[in-house]
Amino acid sequence: MPEEFNLSQMERETEEMLKIRYLTKHNTVFKRTEGGFVSLSVGEESYLRIQVMRMFPFMEKDRFLSVRSVGDKSKEIGIIEDLEDMEKETIKLLREQLNLRYFTPVITKIRSVKEEYGFAYWDVITDHGECRFTIQMGGNAVVHLTEERILLSDIDENRFEIPDVGRLTPAERRKLDLFL
Amino acid sequence: MELLYQLTDKNKELLSLARGEEIYYCFPLDLDREGSFRDNSYTVVTNLRILLLEEGSCTKAYRLSELEKVVGEPQISSGILYVVKDGKEEFLGRYSAKHLTRYSYITRGCLLLQRGEKERVISREYETACLICKRALPGTRECPKCAGKKEGLVSDFLMLIKPQWKLFVVIVLLMLSATAVTLANPAIQQRLMDDVLIGNKGNVKQAVLCLSLMFIMSLGIVFINAGKSYLCSKLGSRISAGLREKLYVKIQLLSLSFITERSPGELMNRILYDTGRVRDFMGETFCNLFTIIILFIADVLLMLILDWKLALLAFLFAPAAMVFSLSLRKYIRTRFHMQGEKADKVSSGLQDVISGMAVVKSYGQEEREAEYFDKNTEEFAKVQRSNEVFFATVYPFIGFVLEAGVYLVIYFGGISVLNGRMTPGRLFQFITYTTLLYTYIGWLTNMPRMLMNMVTSMERIGDVLKQEPQIFDHENAKYHEIQGNVEFHHASFGYKSYEPVIEQIDFKVKQGEMIGIVGASGTGKSTLINLVMHLYEVDDGEIRVDGENIMDIRLSDYHSQIGVVLQETFLFSGTILNNIRFARPEASYEEIIRAAKMANAHDFICGLPDGYQTYVGEKGHNLSGGERQRVAIARAILNDPKILILDEATASLDTENEYLIQKALKRLTNGRTTFAIAHRLSTLKDADRLIVIDRHRIAESGTHMELMKKKGIYYNLVTAQLMMQKN
Repeated sequence: MPEEFNLSQMERETEEMLKIRYLTKHNTVFKRTEGGFVSLSVGEESYLRIQVMRMFPFMEKDRFLSVRSVGDKSKEIGIIEDLEDMEKETIKLLREQLNLRYFTPVITKIRSVKEEYGFAYWDVITDHGECRFTIQMGGNAVVHLTEERILLSDIDENRFEIPDVGRLTPAERRKLDLFL
Repeated sequence: MELLYQLTDKNKELLSLARGEEIYYCFPLDLDREGSFRDNSYTVVTNLRILLLEEGSCTKAYRLSELEKVVGEPQISSGILYVVKDGKEEFLGRYSAKHLTRYSYITRGCLLLQRGEKERVISREYETACLICKRALPGTRECPKCAGKKEGLVSDFLMLIKPQWKLFVVIVLLMLSATAVTLANPAIQQRLMDDVLIGNKGNVKQAVLCLSLMFIMSLGIVFINAGKSYLCSKLGSRISAGLREKLYVKIQLLSLSFITERSPGELMNRILYDTGRVRDFMGETFCNLFTIIILFIADVLLMLILDWKLALLAFLFAPAAMVFSLSLRKYIRTRFHMQGEKADKVSSGLQDVISGMAVVKSYGQEEREAEYFDKNTEEFAKVQRSNEVFFATVYPFIGFVLEAGVYLVIYFGGISVLNGRMTPGRLFQFITYTTLLYTYIGWLTNMPRMLMNMVTSMERIGDVLKQEPQIFDHENAKYHEIQGNVEFHHASFGYKSYEPVIEQIDFKVKQGEMIGIVGASGTGKSTLINLVMHLYEVDDGEIRVDGENIMDIRLSDYHSQIGVVLQETFLFSGTILNNIRFARPEASYEEIIRAAKMANAHDFICGLPDGYQTYVGEKGHNLSGGERQRVAIARAILNDPKILILDEATASLDTENEYLIQKALKRLTNGRTTFAIAHRLSTLKDADRLIVIDRHRIAESGTHMELMKKKGIYYNLVTAQLMMQKN
C-alpha cells in the first residue's frame, strides 16, 4: 500500500530539512556492526547503517561531516562539527568509514610520465602504494584546486592528489610541466 | 567490458569448485580494506557461490542461496562490495574506479543466478584501456596496436582506395617521376661543373644546354609536385567524403541505444574530425610518404655509389640527427601545448564572464573578475613571448646542429678534391644529396605519429561502421496496415542489461483508445513509449500490434504510421512548410493548411513575415514553445498516424497556449490509439484509461473514476496536486 500523501507532513519534513542538527558525543551512540559498517542511535531514532560524508573534502577532512542514512532516499541525520570532539572509539569508527568512502591517493613520488598519442602514462608511488594510471591529454584531467594543489583524474575517473607542487623534486616538476 | 577475468590455475584450485560449478563472473578486487593497491585479488561468482581470492588465498565464500543481495556500492572514485545476509549488510571488499562499472553488473548477475537462470549478463560498454598492452583506448572496442589488426588495417586502407584506383595509379607515377627528377638534377649540375665550367673544357653552347636542362627539370618538379598535391587532395577529399557518407548512413541506421550511449559531440567528431584526419593524411602525408621513402633509399644508394667512404661518414651523423630531431619535436610540442592550455584558460575565462555578465554586474564583482582575467592573459603572454624568443633565437642554431653532418662531408670531401681524388662537381653533387638526406630524416621521424593518428581515426570510424544495428527488419518482416490495437505481453526492458527499467508489463489497448500514463519521474513512462515506437526491442516478452508481433512489421512502414508530439519539440533548420511535411513531403498545400488549421497553427503562421516559408530552427526565426508545439501537432496530423504518442505535450506552456493546444490535440487524438504522458493530471481527463507505473511495473490501471475510488497512488497524486493548487 503506497504511503498516503499528506501535505502537512510534507511541509513538516521540508521545514525539518532547514534545521541543522549537531551530533555530539552526548546525544549519539555509534556502534560497529557485525558486517563491518556503523550503526547509530540518536534520541529515539536508530539506523542500522549510516554513511559519513565530508562537506568540504579538500579543506576540512575532520570538520563538518554529514551523517546520513543509506539507501535510495538517503537523508541527513545530523552534522558532526568536529570529529575530534567525539569519543575516542567513535573517532576510530568514523575515520574507518570515511576511509572506506573517500579514495584519493596522494602522490608522493613521480617515477615517470610518458606521453603517447594523446594520453599520458604515469608511474607513481602514492600513500596507498605503487600505481600506474593513464590520463587523457588536453581535457580537464588536471585541475588546480589552489596554486600548489593539483587533482588528477585518470581515464577511469580515479583521482590522485598532489598536495604541494613546490615540494616535488626539480626532476619530478619537469615531468609535470606538460600539465601545469 | 570484460566481466570474466581469467584466473591462473593456482587461483582456480583455491576455489575448490564443486562438480557442475562454473565461474560466471570474475572481477579484480584491487584495493584492500585500508585502500592500498594490490594485485592478484579477485571477486569470483560461480553459479552457486560468491568467493573472494585475496593475494593467494580464498578468504571468504558464501552460497548465493543464503544471500538476499550482492551489492557493488559506488563511493568517491572507488566502490565497496557487500552482501546482505539475514537482513544485515556485510562488507566484503573495495575496488578502485577502474572497476566501478564492472561491479555495477554484479547485483543483477547474482540475482539471475539466485533465480537459477543460466543467462550471463554481458556488458556493451567499452574498456578504457587495452587489457593486453595497457594502452588507453581512444573510444574504440579494440586496441589499434594489439588484436592483430595490422592486416585488417591494410585491407581497410586498400578498400578505401579501391574505388579511386585510377587516381591512385596516376599519383604513384607522379611520385616516381618526382623522385627521378629530384635525384637527376644534382647529376646534371655535376656535369656542368666538371665537364663545362672547370678548366675551360666546354663551350657556351654546352653550358646553355646544361642550364636549360636544369631549368626544365626545376620547372618540371614544380609542376609534378603541384599536380601531385592537387591529385592527393582530391583523393583525400573523395575518400573522406565517402567515409563521411557511410558513417552518416550508418549512424542513422543504428538503434537509438548506440546514439544515446555516446554524446552527440563524440559522434559529430567521428563524422567530421576523424574523416578530416583521414583526408589530411591522404592529402599531405600519404602524398609525400612514398615519394620520400623512395627518394630516401635512392639517395642513400647514390651516395654509396658515388663515394662509399664519404657516404658512411655522412650517415654517421644520421642517428644523432634523428634522435635530436625527435626530442626537439617533443620539446616544441610541450611548449606549444602549454601555450594552447594558457590560451584555453583565457578564452574559457572570458566565455564564463561574458555569459555570466548579468550575475557579475548585479553582485558588483567586475573588478575582481577583471583582475583574474588580467592574471590569465599575462600568463598567456609570458608563455607566448618565451616561445617567440625561442623560435627567433634558438631555432637557427638547431638547423645548424642538425646539418652538422654536411660540414663533415664538406671537410673530408674538400680534402679529397684538393688531393685530386674527387672532382669539384662530384663533391657538389654529393653535398646536395647529403642535404636531401638530412631533410628527409627530419620528415621521417614525424612519420610514426602521423601514421598513428591516421590509424586511430580509422579505428574510430571502423568502430562505427562495423556496428551491427540492434533494431533491424527481421527476415519475415512485412507490410502491415495498422488498426491501432496494441498489446504488451510480459514485456521487460532495460537500457543496460543489468538495470531493468520496466518489468513484466501486461496490458491491452483497443483501437482508438486514449491511454494516460502516470507515475513519478524515472519510473519508466518514457521507456514504455520508446518501446511502443519500436526504437528499442524488449529484452523479454513481446509487444503485439493488431495481434502481430511488432518485430514482424517492417520498421519503415511501422514508423510511417505513428505520430509523436514531445515536450521539447525539435524543429529542423528549414521552413515551417518543410517541418510540417517532414513525414509526407508529397502533401499538397491544401492538406498542409488544413493540418495547420486543425493544430491551431495557421493563424500565427500567417502572421509571420514569411508565412509558411518562414525559416526556423537553429539560426532561424525564434518560435515560442507553444508555437513550436503547434507546428509539431500539425506535422503529426498531416501524417495521419494510427498510433499517436504525446509525451508531456502540454507541459511548460501558458494557459492560453495550453488551451489552444488542448483543443488541437483533441482533434488529433480523435479516433486514434493514443498514449499520453503527463505530470499535470488534469490534462489526462479525456483519457479512456489510465495506467499508473510504479517501481518498473504497472501498479494500477482503470478509468479516472475507478482509480479515484481505489484510493491508491493515483488518488494520492490527484489530491496532492489539488492541494498544492489551493495553497
